[in-house]
Amino acid sequence: MTEVVATNQTILVVGAGISGITAAVEAAETGKNVVLVEKRAYMGGRISQLYKYFPKLCFPSCGLEINQRRLSAQGGITVLTMAEVSGVTGAEGDYTATVKISPRYVNENCTACGACADAVEAEFDNDHNYGMDKHKGAYLPYNMAKPERFVIDPRIIGTEDAEKAKAACKYDAIDLDMQEETVEFKAGAIIWATGWTPYDANKIQPYGYDRYDNVITSVEFERMMDKFGPTGGKILRPGDGKEAKDIAFIQCAGSRDRNHLKHCSRICCMASLKQSTYITEQYGAEDEDAKGTIYYIDIRSIDRFEDFYRKVQNDPKISFVKSKVANIIVDKENNPVVKGVDTEGYHRYETKHDLVVLAVGMEPNVTKESFPVEIAINEHGFIEADEANGGIFAAGCASDALDVNRAVQSATAAALRAVQVVNKVAGAEG
Amino acid sequence: MANYDKKLGAYICSGCGIGDRLDVSQLETTAKRDGKAANCKTHDFLCSKAGVEMIQKDIDDGEVNHVIIGGCSRRSKIEAFRFPEAAVTRANLREGCIWIRPDNDEAQETTQEMADDLIRMACAESKYMNIPTASGEQELNKTLLVVGGGITGMTTALESAKAGYNVVLVEKAAELGGWMAQLHKRTPNKMPYAAPQDTGIDATIAAVNDHANITVHLNTTVSKTEGAPGRFKVELAVESGSASTVDVGAIVQASGFNMFDPANVPAMNHDKSADIVTNMELEALANAAGDGPIKRPSDGKQVSSVIFIQNVGQNSEEEGHLPYHSGIGDMVSIKQAMYFKHLNGDCDTTILFDNLRTPGAAGEDFYRAGQDAMVTFRKGIASEVVAGGDLEVKFKDMILDEEFTESADLVVLDVGMVPNSGPDPYAADNLPKDEDGNPIEEENAVSVESILNLDYRQGTDLPHLRHGFTDSHFICFPYETRRTGIYSAGPVRRPMDIHQTMEDAAGAAMKAIQALENAGKGRAAHPRSGDLSYPLFRKEGCTQCKRCTVECPFGAINEDEKGFPVFNESRCRRCGTCMGACPVRVISFDNYSVDTVGQQIKNVDIPDEFDEKPRILVLACENDAYPALDMAGQNGIEYSSFARIIPVRCLGSVNTIWLTDALNSGYDGIVLMGCSKGDEYQCHFVKGSEMAHYRMGKIADTLQTLSLEEERVATYEVAITDIQRAPKLINDMAETIEQIGMSPFKF
Amino acid sequence: MSLNTAMVEKYRNNFLQEVAGNVEEGDWVKMCMQCGVCAGSCPLGNAWEHTPQKLFMMIRANKRDEVLTSDSMWMCTSCYNCIVRCPRELPITHIMHGLATYAKKLGLAPQSNPTQWFSETFWNNMMKKGRVNELKLGLSLYFKDGFVSGIKESIAHQKLGMNMMKAKRMAPMEIMGGHGVKDLSGLQKMIKKAQDIEAERLEANSK
Repeated sequence: MTEVVATNQTILVVGAGISGITAAVEAAETGKNVVLVEKRAYMGGRISQLYKYFPKLCFPSCGLEINQRRLSAQGGITVLTMAEVSGVTGAEGDYTATVKISPRYVNENCTACGACADAVEAEFDNDHNYGMDKHKGAYLPYNMAKPERFVIDPRIIGTEDAEKAKAACKYDAIDLDMQEETVEFKAGAIIWATGWTPYDANKIQPYGYDRYDNVITSVEFERMMDKFGPTGGKILRPGDGKEAKDIAFIQCAGSRDRNHLKHCSRICCMASLKQSTYITEQYGAEDEDAKGTIYYIDIRSIDRFEDFYRKVQNDPKISFVKSKVANIIVDKENNPVVKGVDTEGYHRYETKHDLVVLAVGMEPNVTKESFPVEIAINEHGFIEADEANGGIFAAGCASDALDVNRAVQSATAAALRAVQVVNKVAGAEG
Repeated sequence: MANYDKKLGAYICSGCGIGDRLDVSQLETTAKRDGKAANCKTHDFLCSKAGVEMIQKDIDDGEVNHVIIGGCSRRSKIEAFRFPEAAVTRANLREGCIWIRPDNDEAQETTQEMADDLIRMACAESKYMNIPTASGEQELNKTLLVVGGGITGMTTALESAKAGYNVVLVEKAAELGGWMAQLHKRTPNKMPYAAPQDTGIDATIAAVNDHANITVHLNTTVSKTEGAPGRFKVELAVESGSASTVDVGAIVQASGFNMFDPANVPAMNHDKSADIVTNMELEALANAAGDGPIKRPSDGKQVSSVIFIQNVGQNSEEEGHLPYHSGIGDMVSIKQAMYFKHLNGDCDTTILFDNLRTPGAAGEDFYRAGQDAMVTFRKGIASEVVAGGDLEVKFKDMILDEEFTESADLVVLDVGMVPNSGPDPYAADNLPKDEDGNPIEEENAVSVESILNLDYRQGTDLPHLRHGFTDSHFICFPYETRRTGIYSAGPVRRPMDIHQTMEDAAGAAMKAIQALENAGKGRAAHPRSGDLSYPLFRKEGCTQCKRCTVECPFGAINEDEKGFPVFNESRCRRCGTCMGACPVRVISFDNYSVDTVGQQIKNVDIPDEFDEKPRILVLACENDAYPALDMAGQNGIEYSSFARIIPVRCLGSVNTIWLTDALNSGYDGIVLMGCSKGDEYQCHFVKGSEMAHYRMGKIADTLQTLSLEEERVATYEVAITDIQRAPKLINDMAETIEQIGMSPFKF
Repeated sequence: MSLNTAMVEKYRNNFLQEVAGNVEEGDWVKMCMQCGVCAGSCPLGNAWEHTPQKLFMMIRANKRDEVLTSDSMWMCTSCYNCIVRCPRELPITHIMHGLATYAKKLGLAPQSNPTQWFSETFWNNMMKKGRVNELKLGLSLYFKDGFVSGIKESIAHQKLGMNMMKAKRMAPMEIMGGHGVKDLSGLQKMIKKAQDIEAERLEANSK
């Protein structure tokens, strides 16, 4: 049975992506007690699935390593994974949260030795890699997964594989009888850091993501670059496994569009500018076949990021076309052909590329209807700052479409607002 | 420094295959015999409840106060092996030994040797370290200093006060409010993001003035800041000449920005006509209009057509222009165009933009609202404003691919924000150098007034990142400045709008509060948060060479009147760069010192030259290279069993004595792995890796003195993702040694 | 003063306002963000001198004559691809027809444009009997460029015509005048009234 020690001076943080981790760590390092609830089996959220950050082109795992160390170095943070907040009652300074914890079938005895994974046969689509490869029925989600504990896929429960996994474990870490449980605990303030989900590209009919192999999303492209990802760090066409060298990036795939997401997702311009540098990284500056084309409406590389935009503009391998692509067809070789009109001076194009990357928009993870508590949400699904929210504060992409830097800024601010509430409670309680 | 009898206990785990692959009883013998661990135990599942209880019992019984864990990596099972009352070291037998070696008879011998050495190293480290305790120098001071009384500073003050802290708010001008007080309206921050909103600044000013925990000093500047987090002494100078001193725990610099001078873009002819105004000047016109129409300054005529020129002098490589973009100008111009729509009836308003920067949910909503209000948006690049009775704007319409000249009653120039950040302590580093390496001063360089007047060895103000902004350049840790306990917020940090600035203010307040709380407990700030160790200094050995005071990436170390370093522990980030810099090795930390690493190096068993078993010393940054090597193990990527890997806090902490000692004692090669340096540095201690590379550039002399080949020492920038490359670099060194032969220094 | 001149005077070179005030769905033009998806989505795009998105930009740039005398919007075949894809949901098809109609009313529509000629022919044909006489309309289309080419066209389409007759989709006797709606004069009055109201509205708008 999971035990959670919490009082109404505890801060509940929902979501352990970069925003949730930041809010938790900043509050804990100020001496506060924190419960961090994460839906996935591991922390890190979307950034654990990114290859590089813009504009430094550094690695998200670098900061995550430090954050995860800070998190476990603090005694004050209780982390619940595979857990979801199903109910919140009470008011500012005195909430009661109900959290549903799904069975992992692996307890804290797990040493991450990997024997269970060797023993099982069944394989399933790997969500960490957006289904581009498979993981075993017993698996560690990725190299840096924390908690560093394997997960048994519930789909092998009741099969021979489950027994094999259990038999292979020398540490009595596999408990096939583990049940879903519900815990209830107190919290003075709640930080909602539930993040975002990539817009479903299947819905953008003219771009054919649902029917063309060589049209992929920007988040999938990130996974390809990871040397431990589904393609071993190579840019390969899903259709035929060939190297893709001539790559198109389509901006506003689902964003700024009343048929999809009305809002601008803010990060996609910078993300595509960043991804365009992967081409040279992969093939070198000398390879003349390697090139990128960015189809855009407006490049929103605001403030300091303009440096980066200029750098990409000056790269002879990358060209810019001011146009929202009208549609994509494929030729006989299954190459995507991008069609539309360059609006700067009116030029029609029908251009063949090896691979098309859709810069998909950001959709808030939690829909208005599924919030366990009354809260101010705007028409785009983001939480608005509002007095009526009481002791509940949004952090990161639950509050707006934000890049990592701004998500951390927002999470640090949210941590303070939660600290204000619990300090007030502490003051009242003496 | 702690003074106690060290009782070493070595606990060796035989689980996870360690017992199958290694002779664990031999490891125990090694720990006893070579490691001098009085208490040695083996457990087949050390991280289990029973295993941990076994260790805890020995600690509780007073048998052991220094725990050596031989098992998985220090990055694994952190929670299980957390014994706050003991010193804990780890011998990485799993990720760093059995997982990186093939499981066959041939490899068995060298793998066992590796493991034995890892045990010796961990014991040696343990023997030479102390359990860190806070120095007692620290103080808890729950007052913050906020410099700047604009919206950023006021928000910082209010948010901090709301959390129960006291604030001293200093404003240079005679009134609070800053630029925001000059605005007619602000861009909306509430749904439906459709119309300009009242700024609400008067209410904010009143709230600040009325708050019992906030003291406001107007007409005041900071004339001197000395001390450290928890005990800053700040001298405040009032315009009238009087001065006072306040004691504060942490500081937030919210000194804001100035507007770019459009005179730097002569084609805009800002000085040629009163009807060519900047965006900020337009706010004044709108305020002057009251509820009536906006009138043009030259003749008071009601404006019936206005053209906004976006990005004037922004995002431009031309001289005198801003190489960055404020990012907010398009939102501001939409807001201002709406002023005309509201006040001037059917006034023609045209915005000439390049890339319409209205990001996020609020941005796109407001763009649509502007269009709905009949604001005309044209993707156009203006080349000139012709002053005269009627103004004319010449521009190229990028969509129609055609040059246009349009006339207007008023032209508004969207000029950018220039950070008001004080002089950069390291400006000279960025200047071109003459032949002797001295910086060439720029002609007509304008001297900038200091904001904080820090009494620091390394300059008076927060270091700039780029273009004068004080941003940290950390995407994951945007608030971390290079001056501990001093945070910057708002547009001085990077360009931002009001909404973001208020978030930023709250975030900076959080960090400042955290800094003063931790300073009160003697705990380190990010990234070694919570570390209680601090630099210890043996003054009698110091030669006053000043390398530590110059090289500290955080400007933490001052000099006393005799030139001895003054460490200011709560300014220290515990990276150890000072320790690496010190040529006489008088700087150390309780839990990290020249000895804790040096003795690990010395305790490695160096086989005879004719055994053909070289030894490669690997010093790996604990944040990036070491995790990469761990993950190599996790993925079964093999590397040479001759490598002996020691994690270091930062490559900057590497003292060259370690290398000299290693080479003298018969190591055959040394590999140093630090983080990426330079403009896009990834070093979490900013300059540590760079310093190390610089120092290693000079190691060739040492090698020459010893008549050793240069190839025996290699320094690399290694990222955490170099899971395949890092092992390869070690193997490359093993190959190099095979080519050039073993070191002749084996005794 | 002609309606055209009046409009020019009235909107003193603010064509966007003029379009918003007078063209069917013209109020939407301001909402275009120049992404160009309409231009790329138009199946007949190649035939357009100015794409819809470009026309919208020309409107903002006060290129009044160029827009109203253009034949581009006459090229629209009402496939609705652009409306479906427009990220701002502009009723582009309707705006194209609105612009064409407006140009026609101001007497600026291009005389030689075949679509315009066909629209007019269609209108006149329909107004005669209150319904379209397909046979006459078809023939007038065939004979548009003279007798000889009309005969050639008719022969070329002979098989199609025969099949349509067999399927009772075309009645040859319609050539004699054809049947009309029940209350033809009522319909004509109604249309006239609508036209008068529309003309009055424009007249009033031009003041």
